[in-house]
Amino acid sequence: MRKRFAAFVSTVPPGGPASAGTGVFWILAATASGFLIIGWLLPWFVGPYDAGVGFSAQDALISPPTGVGTFLIYILAVAMVVLLLSPLAEVVMRLRGRPFGPRADRIRLYLGLAGVVLTGVVWLLYRVIQEEPLFGSVVPGEISDSAIWLTMYGFALAALVYGARKWVVARQTLAFGTALLPFGIFLPLMFHQAPDFLLWAAGSLAIYMLLALGLNVVVGFAGLLDLGYAAFFAIGAYACASFASPIHNIHWPLWILIFIGAAIASLFGAILGAPTLRLRGDYLAIVTLGFGEIIPDLATNNVFNLTGGPNGISGIDQPHWGFMDFSESPRWYYWSLLLVSIAVIILLRNIEQARVGRAWVALREDEVAAAATGINTTTTKLLAFAIGASVSGLAGAFYGSLVTVVTPDDFSFSVSIAVLSIVVLGGIGNIVGVILGAVILTFVIFWVLPNMDSWSTTLSSTVHIPALANINFSSYTYIIYGIALILMMLLRPGGLLPSRARRIELESAEESESLAAVQGIA
Amino acid sequence: MSEQSGIPGAGPGGTGGGAGTVTLVDQGNLGPRTAEGRGVFGAAGPPLRFLYGLVSKNFGALLLLLIVASIFGTFVQGGATLMGNQIKNALVLGAIYALVAIGYTMVYGIIELINFAHGDVFTVSGFYAVFIANTLHLNQLATSSGGGLLLALVIVFPLSMLAAGLTGMAIEFVAYRRLRDAPRLAPLITAIGVSFLIEGVMLVREGPDYVTTGQASWINGTAFTIGKVSIGYTDIFVVGTALFLMFALGAFVQRTRLGKAMRSTAQDRTAALLCGININRTISATFFIGSALAAAAAVIYSINYGDLKWNIGFRLGIIAFTAAVLGGIGNIVGAGVGGFLIGLIYVFGGSLLGGEWSEALIFAILVLILTFRPVGLFGVEVSTRA
Repeated sequence: MRKRFAAFVSTVPPGGPASAGTGVFWILAATASGFLIIGWLLPWFVGPYDAGVGFSAQDALISPPTGVGTFLIYILAVAMVVLLLSPLAEVVMRLRGRPFGPRADRIRLYLGLAGVVLTGVVWLLYRVIQEEPLFGSVVPGEISDSAIWLTMYGFALAALVYGARKWVVARQTLAFGTALLPFGIFLPLMFHQAPDFLLWAAGSLAIYMLLALGLNVVVGFAGLLDLGYAAFFAIGAYACASFASPIHNIHWPLWILIFIGAAIASLFGAILGAPTLRLRGDYLAIVTLGFGEIIPDLATNNVFNLTGGPNGISGIDQPHWGFMDFSESPRWYYWSLLLVSIAVIILLRNIEQARVGRAWVALREDEVAAAATGINTTTTKLLAFAIGASVSGLAGAFYGSLVTVVTPDDFSFSVSIAVLSIVVLGGIGNIVGVILGAVILTFVIFWVLPNMDSWSTTLSSTVHIPALANINFSSYTYIIYGIALILMMLLRPGGLLPSRARRIELESAEESESLAAVQGIA
Repeated sequence: MSEQSGIPGAGPGGTGGGAGTVTLVDQGNLGPRTAEGRGVFGAAGPPLRFLYGLVSKNFGALLLLLIVASIFGTFVQGGATLMGNQIKNALVLGAIYALVAIGYTMVYGIIELINFAHGDVFTVSGFYAVFIANTLHLNQLATSSGGGLLLALVIVFPLSMLAAGLTGMAIEFVAYRRLRDAPRLAPLITAIGVSFLIEGVMLVREGPDYVTTGQASWINGTAFTIGKVSIGYTDIFVVGTALFLMFALGAFVQRTRLGKAMRSTAQDRTAALLCGININRTISATFFIGSALAAAAAVIYSINYGDLKWNIGFRLGIIAFTAAVLGGIGNIVGAGVGGFLIGLIYVFGGSLLGGEWSEALIFAILVLILTFRPVGLFGVEVSTRA
């Protein structure tokens, strides 16, 4: 059973294209379900349940039918329930040896398309025509728009996933990008009524994603464990803070600073890397850890009066070009971060497949053999360090400008571990996996945990367990990182979306073991 | 205890710990080292390489020179009283580092894993001791009379060491045992995970601030004075306990069957298995002993300093690990000596540069040791290493 399940979840189709696999298919299916659920429940999550009405479908479901809209809601509810339950049903049926045929996919495609259209109609009724009997008094500016967009996106995603299943399985990465990129681009518009907090969270997500992508170069591609990665982040952030704040009276634009931050960080990466590259994996980890502790210490001790001591540097400039006023709304940061992230992702993907990337993989697997085939191990490792650090420095420059104040505490060891957790959770060495890991972990850390406090207060008054209200969920971040690291390593060492090389490696572990035994004898 | 009494042959780059290193093949076994020979310094040409070799070979001498110079600097700065007080502080701190470092070195010696969670085992066992003392009302007992103090110590030490030892065994069983033959980085990552898990639990339980343990008042009074330096009973107790435990451990590893099993497991796990040694039990015992020593260190820390914090073990752990590396990881005597050396560097570096630089200095030393002399001061130079 377990074996069949594993084969079902993670098998690479033999002879398929490089990115083939069912992982992204299931993730997208789950995302579609998640969007549907959140869209459906959003008014309940965000505002007080009875404050406005909006698209709170529960109201329409429990009240007697009053208009044509109610029937639409009924249909939408059925479609949603079917789409939510069908992946579970599919898993169960496949485990029992009777997989769904193409007809099930077609039905779900039509359901998804119908869902998109009907949700649009509901939006028209509610927003444009303002059909009162259905929704009661419409409060403009209610969170409901976001709910409708999310629901529509969920239905569209479901239609894409089930309607083009073959394509999704064959071209994982492309499908992942196609499915989620519009969401990323339109996020500030979809949630235009939401508080800026959401965009701040999205900005942190993008920064953590950049960090994880950079660390992935070092840990995933080149196989060098870097535990002081926050140091390069700090260097980038302090570079930005020094050149764009009143502290030294220098005010350079952010677009130059991200390159300066990246350049300085990569320089430090090379400086750190040069003497330590001869060390083995775990020793390297410790050296980088020491380095990662030294840098914030230097900043705290205000070395050469550059860093402003424990209070850090404040008043960092926020760019202002024409109508793009970065200080007015975080959405400009969000979009520029998105743009930079996409550029970095494309760049890293190309590097991974280029000569250097292949050299990294060779180094990771067997350094001696790699050197024997003519790879210059020194420069290759240094490049990994420098490139990884430069991405981190770039993220740091953005971070400085985004939060306008940098202090040494922002770059402690826990940041390095948070980034490492993202990489490990998503899939060491796999860019799509790392993006997924960043989304999941930052969602939990920046949204679920802070909200858990208020939810638990509500829940404790409902179910009369006073102890629930006293739990401070925000302090559980360390536990979450720890459990994520332990469980992933024990249960699924390749991460949620293992890179193709790891997957093959894990599947043929027995073969490799016998190989290692032979080498040991020789 | 001779210098060889550590777990021999278990330094970095020793045997690969049996078969099964799947991806990161241990390079120690693989023929000529031409590729390794040209590091950055090799590529940079003979002068740099010569310099590197010079520093690498005389690393111990240079470090001693540094320590002596800083002691002398302190003497110039503050006279004999300051110097004497600082030597006392350094010995006390060094004793604690040494006890924690031994745990790192034993675990590294036997399964070649940097047990990141060890520093947090230190903290958690400090809190065990607080819990034990508070539950049994030992604080009143210890301050009431000399006999009461002895009784309290006899209760608190074994109990917290037992609890910490069991914690260490549990950590090994849950997080490391299944990954023993996995690629190197896997257990290292779970070790970090365990460390964060423990820190998180302590953060939730004990809060983000320093917790006063109430054990600072257990032992007080001045035993004697040398010049103007007063040596308290606490200082004698701390250093004495640490030395006693270290010698006891040395005797244990050298004389007993289990100690022999540990040494052989560290040398070659497969061969030890073939000789009928129960590997799992031996490794569990190693974790038990290492964690118990960390607990002892935590208790004397608590008695000496009187407070604990949820994440205090993290940095203390790195510093103790530096001590272990300095002494040559896998070498128990080396860890003990390294602990005291690091204590000296910490205190005197801090007194010369300012206390806020102590930790940065230690981390810099760590980077320097691993760069120039990864085998440590007492490690044997093996050409296939590093």
